[in-house]
Order: sequence, then structure tokens, then C-alpha cells
Amino acid sequence: METHLLRQIADARARGRDDARPGVVDAVHRRGRLTARERLTALFDLESFVEYGALAGRTTDPADEAFADGLVAGVGLVHGEPVVAASYDESVLGGTQSDRNHRKMAKLLYLAVEHRWPLVCFANGGGARLDDPLPPPPIAVSPRGRFELCDGLAELNGWAPTVAVVSGRAVDGHAAIAMLADLAIATASAEFGTQEGYVRGAGDYAKTGDVDVVVDDEAQAVATVRRYLRLYLVDHIPGEAAGDADRIADVIPENRRRPYDMRRVIAAFADAGSVLELGAAWGRSMLTVLARLDGRTVGIYANQPKSPLAGAIDAAAADKAARFVELCDAYDYPIVTFVDNPGYMVGPQAEREGIARHHARPLAALHHRTVPLYSVQIRKAYGLGPYAMSGWGAARRVPEMRLAWPSVESGGMSLEGAAYLVKRKEILAAETREEAMAIRDEYAERMRDAASGLRAGRSYQFDDIVEPAATRATIAAMLRRTPRTRASVKKHAIDPR
Amino acid sequence: MDPEDITALQKARDRLKDAARPDIVTRVHGTAKLTARERIELLLDPDSCIEYGGIAARTRDGDWVGEAGGVDFVGTVDGRPVIASSSDYTDHGGGYGAGRLGRLFALAVEQRWPVVMFVDGGGSRARHPRAGMGHIETSGPVGRFSFLDGVPELSGWAPVVAIVSGPSFAGHASLAGFSDFLVSTPGSSIGMGGPPMVEAALGQRLRPNELAGSEMHELSGGIDLLVADEPAAIAAAKRYLSYYDNDKPDGAAPDVDLDALAPDAGQPYDMRKIVGAICDADSVFELRPRFAPALLTCLARIGGRSVGVLANQPLVDDGAIDHDAASKIARFVELCNTYEYPMLALIDTPGCVANWDLKGQDSSVEPGLTRWHSRPLIAHQQRTVPLVSVQVRRGRGLGATLMSGASSTRGVPALRLAWPGVEIGRRDGYSAVVDHNAFDDVIAPRETRERIARLLGMFGRPAPRQRKKHPIDTW
Repeated sequence: METHLLRQIADARARGRDDARPGVVDAVHRRGRLTARERLTALFDLESFVEYGALAGRTTDPADEAFADGLVAGVGLVHGEPVVAASYDESVLGGTQSDRNHRKMAKLLYLAVEHRWPLVCFANGGGARLDDPLPPPPIAVSPRGRFELCDGLAELNGWAPTVAVVSGRAVDGHAAIAMLADLAIATASAEFGTQEGYVRGAGDYAKTGDVDVVVDDEAQAVATVRRYLRLYLVDHIPGEAAGDADRIADVIPENRRRPYDMRRVIAAFADAGSVLELGAAWGRSMLTVLARLDGRTVGIYANQPKSPLAGAIDAAAADKAARFVELCDAYDYPIVTFVDNPGYMVGPQAEREGIARHHARPLAALHHRTVPLYSVQIRKAYGLGPYAMSGWGAARRVPEMRLAWPSVESGGMSLEGAAYLVKRKEILAAETREEAMAIRDEYAERMRDAASGLRAGRSYQFDDIVEPAATRATIAAMLRRTPRTRASVKKHAIDPR
Repeated sequence: MDPEDITALQKARDRLKDAARPDIVTRVHGTAKLTARERIELLLDPDSCIEYGGIAARTRDGDWVGEAGGVDFVGTVDGRPVIASSSDYTDHGGGYGAGRLGRLFALAVEQRWPVVMFVDGGGSRARHPRAGMGHIETSGPVGRFSFLDGVPELSGWAPVVAIVSGPSFAGHASLAGFSDFLVSTPGSSIGMGGPPMVEAALGQRLRPNELAGSEMHELSGGIDLLVADEPAAIAAAKRYLSYYDNDKPDGAAPDVDLDALAPDAGQPYDMRKIVGAICDADSVFELRPRFAPALLTCLARIGGRSVGVLANQPLVDDGAIDHDAASKIARFVELCNTYEYPMLALIDTPGCVANWDLKGQDSSVEPGLTRWHSRPLIAHQQRTVPLVSVQVRRGRGLGATLMSGASSTRGVPALRLAWPGVEIGRRDGYSAVVDHNAFDDVIAPRETRERIARLLGMFGRPAPRQRKKHPIDTW
């Protein structure tokens, strides 16, 4: 081999490394950021990265300075399992998308689809490179993937996890990557925009449900990615109950009308420190978390009584639940639901938002699921609300187990609402508001006594009424009897909304 | 057999007929509506009806008190089997009582028959002996399905048409919300919670139509079509079903000079006219016409073959694709894919815009991408029906991809055509074709119809399926 050829390659490779560009690296660090290469180093297990296209450039000139053509990418290990990752380099032509780096992504997408490997993309960059030379003629012997960017991500959607991290600015095609990923993580200062100059912050994207998790910095983002992937890659680890697992009943107030924080119920139910919440900033009456139960990965979704809608399911909450069920089903995570909602949201605003259409989305997702589902009814079970949490449950899929706590209460509508309608004349005739409420509440209490706790068990509305502290062991025991099965073909996509 | 028994049966049957309850019929007609039986008569072919559970009744203290909230039939529409059901608002508020619908859903699932249901009513019957929390009534000869879960089972398998021509709340609205074609009439309403529940929960006293009116749903996407009255709704239902599994032998070309209609750069034009000029004469049936009006979705025929047409409408918001338009595309692609309608996409869009409404803080529509825009990409990726795209003018950003699918794998259009006025990225016209191989051909507008018809003729009908591809999203 001619030594100058070997040297040329080695030189070009070395010039693309961070230690050859101290000025660039310093500038990145001064902004509290990581370089494109550092992000991948942080993501992958030590020394596991196999890079693709390190020598790609803007041109074929040996002196070309567009290192890796603005996209550092390859395959490495995360928790010992193969993962494909790509990191746009904003210090190279703004991390813009070119013919070469598009083809590099396409190659990685092929690998991910073919081998069912998760894909992680750090999607910071300025969109399409406007002065990119035209692509090579079709006869060129160049690595082409089966996919292009959008359809590769769409193909991977629901087959293996896709994660996007935005920690700078994601413009046009970069934003498209983030919006197609099934988990979108952004740092608080990240932005999404267009080449025309329209820009929105990560906070706005989180409030509308277009970003799932907002973190402080890239180190936290990488840690979140590794947690998310571990839940998928490593199905069973030793699990430990949370410290307050035995006192889970204490979360529920004595006064049945006082709200409580469902996050505390979930934290006490799941393995210690295992909860990863998705979409905390939107559809806030519905919580969606990935967690572990006795070491098994599970998806938990639950109503949040301590939210502006008091747990009522509006269009956003319905969409959030539906998407989460699809995600759990696609990745074979058993589902646990905690149910305490006054029903679907009613009123002119909710109807304008299309609740009559959106309410059906979680029901349809549950109807088509194949993963097991365990539901725990904590308090309110009114109207059609409970079905959103476990499905209609007659034809295709019935919940594997429907449990309730002794505090369960049920009716065609909220007890207070029903009491209002039954006692409407008396309530409207009452002299003071206190008196009116007393009439309503007295009747509601009577109806509650007629349907709650033991009576619900007697009428076999539930498979069992359990002591709250026994819930964890009961569901864990059932989980052990339903080992994770992986479908050999993709079940379905995860609807982005 | 005791002749008395036969007579008793005949008597019971006679009592079901409208003629046996003139007062109720007069009352219904007084509100310019049809009785449950009249609806079915208008819908189904004459002498094709088989009634299910007609004499099923609710008894109070052993006494006959009438029908069980509605009527259910198997019959034919244009000679093809259809399940037809109508709630009867004059009978127990239309509350479903006997689980007959669940039984018929099982038939529909087994035979892949369409369902047409009139769903006005106020939900499950509160005072039914077995109505209780946690259980929709399932007494009687139910099939595999309960009252409500038959609908998601049918979704994407056989057409489910809902007609709402009155107040429809709670369980009834849920049934309507699950349908893939929902047609309604002015003055009707579809809502998750009726006026009493809204008064109890929010303290607001509203009439049904103020609370959840069909006129509102026409604009916000809750329904697929608003028509004048019940006969028109029935005609619309028949029209919708006419495209299902039912190609006509041929179709007449419209008498229009498409070259003259095709727009110059920057010139406004009505995309509806272009859709009409490509498809068979009088074959275009537009769905959700006033929801996300910058994007048109139509069932139609080309050369007799049922097709789904997606088209940008530059007359509205320049044809930009916002959240609602993106969802409209995704749902329509799912619908066409499940019923095996090949698709035509007519593209002329400046790209995607995001709708920002952060609860009063600000509200704007501006260029940008959100997850809503990914929905069409996912829908096209799972599409297996062929799609022909015609780029009329612009397809900026991700616009063309949302309309026709990404360009390399499953979603790739079967044929990508462009008209000479095409603009692509920063390159336009022929250079795009030459440089990028972006189109399979550039053709004169007048050649479009023939080109598509010829290609569609080569795609045979797909083999019968054992299971559905996927459900149709309700949004």
C-alpha cells in the first residue's frame, strides 16, 4: 500500500476530531454545550462507537474542512445493546443537511430498520444546505440506503424506539426529525424554527405536546435517552419497592372531595426511582410514565385529580392517552392504569375541541392493543371515563385484571352532578350556597355508600377490591405470568398526535 | 300450532308499524323529521329488509310499553348488503335496550358489511333493569360484541356511517364519533355531555344546539358533512357507500378544457374546478368541505374506478397545511387505504404552518413544524394503495411529502406527474425534472385524466383480506 494514501486518510480523520479543533471546542464549551462528538461519546458505552462516513465532506477536495459533512454518525452500544446514533455538528456549515449527510442518515436508518435497533438523533441544525452541490448522478457507486430521512423515520416508528434531542436550534428538516421521533427531548433553551426566521422555544413545544421531556442541559438529555433506551433494551432487572410503598393508601385523603397528586401514587407503586414521565407539560389531567414494576418495564397512565380539570379527560388528554397506549403496544410494554376521573370533559369548549371525536382515540387504541392491561380504580368511575382507561372490554381485548380500591365510587355521572339533577328544585330553592351544597352533598354521600367498596366487590364489577398496599404485589404476580413477547413484524405505527 | 299464537305474533308486529301510532308519527312529522321506520325505508332497497328484534320490548310490571328504543335491520342498498339501525327518539329517548346492535355488529364484522346508523338519543337507558355502572347493557341475543366495542372493531374493516339528525349525546355521540362517515343536519347536536350534565358540572344552561351544534362541528371537523335534512342525509350515506367495493364499468370524461383552467404562476384559482375536470363527470363527493378548507378531500371516480382525491386549495390560506389540514390528510389516507381506493394528490402548497394557541397567552398561525405534520407522513408510510401525484405548482418544504408520501419506500407515489408550471424548491419547471428526476413526467394538464385512468387500469383489485390493515383514526 502506498504510504501517502494511508497518511492522507489518517490525517483527514485526525483533523476531524475534537482535539484537532480546540478553538471550536472551546467556543462550544463556553456556551455550556457539548460538541457533536462529545454527545455521542456520552451516549454510548465506553469505546463502542463505530463511525460511518467520518471522511465525508462538502466536496471531494482532500483539504475539505466540512468534517463528516456536518453529521457525526454510526453504531454503538447503549447498556450493551446496539443503538444507531447521529449527531449534527453545528460547527460545520451550521449542521445543515446535504446530499452526503442525508445519505449517511439513510444508511443508518436502513441498519436500524433491518436490525430493529433504536435510533438516537441530536437534531440541531439549520435545515437544508442551500448551496449544496447537486447530488451525484445515479450511476455513482455511493452508499445509498433503502430509505430517505422522512420515510426511514416513519418506517422505524413503532418498530424500534426513535429519540431526538434538540439542544440548539432545529430548523426545517431538523425539526422534522424531532417531530417524527417517538421521544422528543429538548433542553430548556432549545428552539425550533424555519429558514424564514420563525422561531419557537422548547417551552412552547412542550406545552403543546410536541416535545415530551424538557431538561436543563445536554448531559441530562443524554442521561434521559439512556434511561428511555434501557427500559426498551433491558426488559428485566432486579426491582425494589419504593420506600413508602406500604403507605400508598395514605396518599388518598380521608375527605373524598379533596384532590391528591397521582404522581405520588405512581411513585409509591412503581420500583424505587424508576419513573420516567413523558409529556408532563401538556394534557395535564392525564399522566403518562414509563417505569418498572418488580424489574419489568411497564407503561403507566393515570388521571391526575390534582390538575386544572380535576382529572376530566379533554381532547388533549385523550390524544395523550391514545398515543401512549400505541407506544406501549408497539414496544410490548404491559400497561397499568390508575383510574380516578369524573368522565370525559363536557361543555361548549370541550365540544369545540372535538371531544366527541377525540374521546374515541384511546378507546380505539385500547381495542387494538395486544399487550396485557391492568387497571386500578382508585376513586371516581363516572360515565364513559373509566373506559378511556381500560377499553370497552368485551370483544377483542378485555383488561387482564380490573382492580379497585375500597374508595371506589361510581355512577353514570359524578355523584355531585347526579345529586344536583335529582335535588335540583331543592338546591335552587335553598337560601344560602352552604345550604344548597349541604343538600347536594348529603345525597351524593348516600349514593356513594350504595355503590362503593364492598358492594362493588359483591356485584363483581371488578376482579377484586384490593387493599392499596397489596396492589403492587398483585399486579407484579400477574406480570410474572405474562412474559414479554416480541412481535416479529411491526404491529402498527405510533401516531405522532 | 295454536292459531292464537300466530295471531298474537301478528298483532305484536302490527303494533310496531307507524300506522299503529298515528299520534307519534304526527308529532315526529311536525318537527320536519322522519320516524325511525321511515328512515330505514328510505335507506334500504324496497323489499330487502330483514328486521332483527322487532318485537323485543321493555316491559314494566309485565305490561307492554313499546319498542326497545330503536329498530335494526339487515337489508341492501343498491343491491349490496348493509346493516341499518335507527334509534327512535320517541321511544325511551332512543336509549338502546336490547343489545341488538352489538349482535348486528358481529354480522357486519364477519361479512364485512357496511353499517348505517341513525344515532340520536341521550346515551344508555338509565332506568333499564340491567343498566348499571361499568356495564353497557348486553341482555338478549348479543353477538361477540357489546354495544360500543363493535364500532372500533369495524373501523377500517367495513364502512360505518352515522347519521345524526337530532340531539345526540353521551353513548349515542360516542357511536357517532367512532364512525368513519358522520353526516348531520342543521339544528342537530353531537356532544359527550348533554345539557343536564353540563348544567350540573359547569352551571351553564344551554340548549343542545348551542352546546354542541352540528353547524359548529361542520367547521371544527367533528362531522364529515352537513346536509339540509334527513332525506339528504340518507342520500349522502348512499353516495358514500356507492364508492365502497363498487367500481362502475366506465365513467364519462367531464367536458372541460383543463389546459385553460391550469393556473399561471401567482394566479389565484379554485382547485375544486381542477378536481372536477380530472375526475368522471358528477363523480366528486367532497368530505369535510368546510373544515380545514385549505385542503380538499374527495371521493370520486376516474374511468369508473373509485378513488380518493387529496388536493391543496390555494384559495384558502394560500393552500398552507396547518394542524387540522395535516390531520385531515392523515385520516383520509387511512380511509382510502382501508377501503382500497387508489389516490390522487393534486399539489400546490407553500408548506406547513403551525397553529399556536397557548391558552389565551397567544394565538397565531406561522410557518413551522409540529407533530401534527408528521401524521400524514406516518399514514402514507403504511399506505399500500397506489397514489398518483400531480404537482400543479408549488410543493415547498415538506408540503409535497405530506401530500404524497416520502419518495423512496412504501409511500412512494406510483406515478409522479407535474404540469409545466411546476415550481420545486428553488428550482422550477423542467430543470427540476432534468436535474432531480423529481417527476416521472411533465405533462399538459389535459393529458392528466387519461394518464391516470390508464395507470389505474393496470392495478387490479386487491385480493380479499382476512383482517383489516388498520383502523381509521377518528381524528
